[in-house]
Order: sequence, then C-alpha cells, then structure tokens
Amino acid sequence: MMKVYIRSAACISPQKTFNSTSFLDKLVTYEDNKLTCIEPDYSEVIDPRVIRRMSRVIKMSVVSAVACLKQARVANPDAIVTGTAYGCLEDTGTFLASMVEQDEDPITPTAFVQSTHNTIGAQIALLIKCKGYNNTFVSGGASFENALSDSMMLLAEKNNANILVGGMDEITDMSHAVLTRLGLYKRQPVSNINLFEAKSKGTINGEGSAFFLLANSATEGDLACIDAVSTFYKPVDITETTEQVTSFLAAEGVDKNDIDLLITGNNGDEKNDAVYSALQHSVFDSIPTVNYKNLCGEYPTSTAFALWIGAKMIKTNSIPAILNEGTAIATPIKKVLIYNHYQNSYHSLILLSAC
Amino acid sequence: MFDLKEQIIDQLKIKNLTPEDIGDEEPLFGSGLGLDSLDVLELIVLLKQKYKLRVTNAEDGPKVFRSIKSMAEYITEKQVQTA
Repeated sequence: MMKVYIRSAACISPQKTFNSTSFLDKLVTYEDNKLTCIEPDYSEVIDPRVIRRMSRVIKMSVVSAVACLKQARVANPDAIVTGTAYGCLEDTGTFLASMVEQDEDPITPTAFVQSTHNTIGAQIALLIKCKGYNNTFVSGGASFENALSDSMMLLAEKNNANILVGGMDEITDMSHAVLTRLGLYKRQPVSNINLFEAKSKGTINGEGSAFFLLANSATEGDLACIDAVSTFYKPVDITETTEQVTSFLAAEGVDKNDIDLLITGNNGDEKNDAVYSALQHSVFDSIPTVNYKNLCGEYPTSTAFALWIGAKMIKTNSIPAILNEGTAIATPIKKVLIYNHYQNSYHSLILLSAC
Repeated sequence: MFDLKEQIIDQLKIKNLTPEDIGDEEPLFGSGLGLDSLDVLELIVLLKQKYKLRVTNAEDGPKVFRSIKSMAEYITEKQVQTA
C-alpha cells in the first residue's frame, strides 16, 4: 500500500480537541458510563436554515470536516470518504419511534430522509459544493479503517489528489439504553481517570468525529504519514491474532523495535483487555504503550480519534501527560502503531510514521 | 394562529424564530420563511397528526400552504365541514 500524507486533522470528542491550541493538556473527567462530545457553536459554520434539520452526528461531522479543510487551506477536496457504524442513529430512532407512536400512519419525512448513513458525507458535499467521489463505509468496527483503505487506494490511482476522510459515531439515549442492557457498558458510573483499573465487565460508551485531509505528495506542514492499514475479522484465538499482527509488521518491513509508540484500544472491560494483555506479552513486548479510550470512550469508529492523537503526537513529538502514565518513550517519535479491536471481532492495525 | 405558528416552529425545528416573528400573511416559501419542498411534507404530516386533515387534492397545496393565515383558514373550513 502506498503511503499517504496527513495534511490536516480536526476532531470533536469528549475532550477539548476542537479548535484547541493545546494538545490534550488537561483531561476532561467524567463519572458516568458514557462520554459525550464537547460540542462547538455550530451556527458559526452552518447556516441556521440548514442546521435545523441536522442531528448531532451530522453537525459534529460537518463542522469537523470544514475545520479540517480550512486547516489544509483546501476549499474542495477530490473526494469525501466517511466511515460510520451507526450512521445517523438519532434520526433512525426518531422515525422508528414515530412509526410506533403514529400507528404506522404517515410520519415526518425529515428524520427518515436524514437517517441513512451516507447523509453525513452528502451534507458535507452539499455544504462545500463538492461533486467528486463520495462514499460511505458501514462495516461495524472496521468502518473507519475501510474508509481509510479506500482513500489510500484512490490516492494510489490519482496524482496530486487530496481526499477528505473521516470517522464518526454518536450516542443516543435509546442506543445507550439498549447496548447497556446487552452488557456492553458498565452498569455503574465509573471515573474515566480510573477506567483501566476498573477490571470489571463492560466499558464506557463514547462518541466522536475526526476528519483528515490526505494527499499523495508531501508538504512541509504535514502531520504524519499513514504507511499502511490492515483489518482482520473474528480471529479464532489469540494465536491467530498474533500471527496477523506479525504478518502485518513483516509485510511492512517493520521490526517491533522500530516502533516508538503503540496506541492500543484497552477499554476497561476485562475480557476485551485480555487480548491486548496477551499481545503485550508476545508480539508487542517491550514497546512503549499508551491507551486512549479513557479519553473518548468505546465506539466502533474510535480509531479515528486514535489516528488524530497518533498524528498529533508525531507532529508535536510529544505525548500528553494524560496519556502517558510514566512509560519511558523514545523521542523523536518516528513510528507509531495503532492496534484496536472492537469486541474481539473487528481488529485493525494502522501504521504511522513521521514525514 | 398563534398555536399553529408554535406547532410549525416545533415541527420544522426552527430555533431562531418565535411565533411573534412570523407574520400571518408572510409567505411560507421563497422570500418569506424560506421553507422548501421537504418542509411541505412536514406540514402535510402536521395537518394529519394535529388536525386529522388530509390535503387530498394536490392542486390545493400552493393555496393552502401560502401562509399561516391560509393554513388556518383551510383548517377552520375543513373542521366546520366535518362538524
């Protein structure tokens, strides 16, 4: 896979990541089983006549996409690619609830029209008048990774192109209640500061939107390069998972000693974290490691947030204190590996390097 | 008409306007409130849900949805007919 360059990145998350001059200098703490986004004033970017129809995930995505383009000084990208597992969940819930309440009589059309997953990419395109390639990947915990892979393949085919790619998902009251009942999240509130010490069943729910402008040629201000992205689905056991990671590193010609930093998706759920623990005693042994889900919570496209912090750490050559609990990390940070799995079904590896 | 304005603001999620801001005869579309075709569908659903009314003749649409006043007159007229 040809490497691509991250020109710019913008992120709305439960932390102060949007339009912030500092880089995660202070942890925003929560005592809950969900972390919701710190949302900016959308009316500064979106026309009030348009905003009234937008749900939270659309607003977060449109505003972070526009901010990303603005940072890169690109008015109109060649393509827009999005990855979302849940899509416009709030609108989906609204029209399903209306169908029940109205006894399947005609219901308000806006929620239905806006409920499709590709509404997000479409709304961004409408706002910036982008008539180029527009695609949305809806593949559970691999949605963002697939969007990223598609973007990288597009860039490999086309010279001097730039692509806006993003991953986003939202929490709704309905989905949180249902997924908590199914055992995904902890039944009791937990402090995100102590998430990894909780050692109990379930994690904390999360949400966010992160966008990146990718290009196939280097410029001075680039944040980082994406060398490769890989996913695998439902490994039989930890041996297969280990083999997949080993094969990925071998294919990229990377020795584990070359990796300056590993970002893993530990989320405080005992069963989930056992996978990371096993790998850290084998293929990831002795690689300095940081976790990120105490900042953003667990959601299927959380690797977009991980990519944002990975790229920022490479660019600033620093690791925020809230991410690093005393691990000795070599500087400069030249190579970062993101490894995440979602419910031990969707596994992904994203390899980043300094430009 | 005040109630109807409130219902329209709520149905169309118009956050920057109050019922007092909307003139009784102000056009709902174009240069007035600036509503669009998707909003027409919302207004049709509003009539159905709140007033149990169906706009069965498509040609009546432009006349009924011209302004708050025309909508209110249509509702009153139909309610009188069914009373």
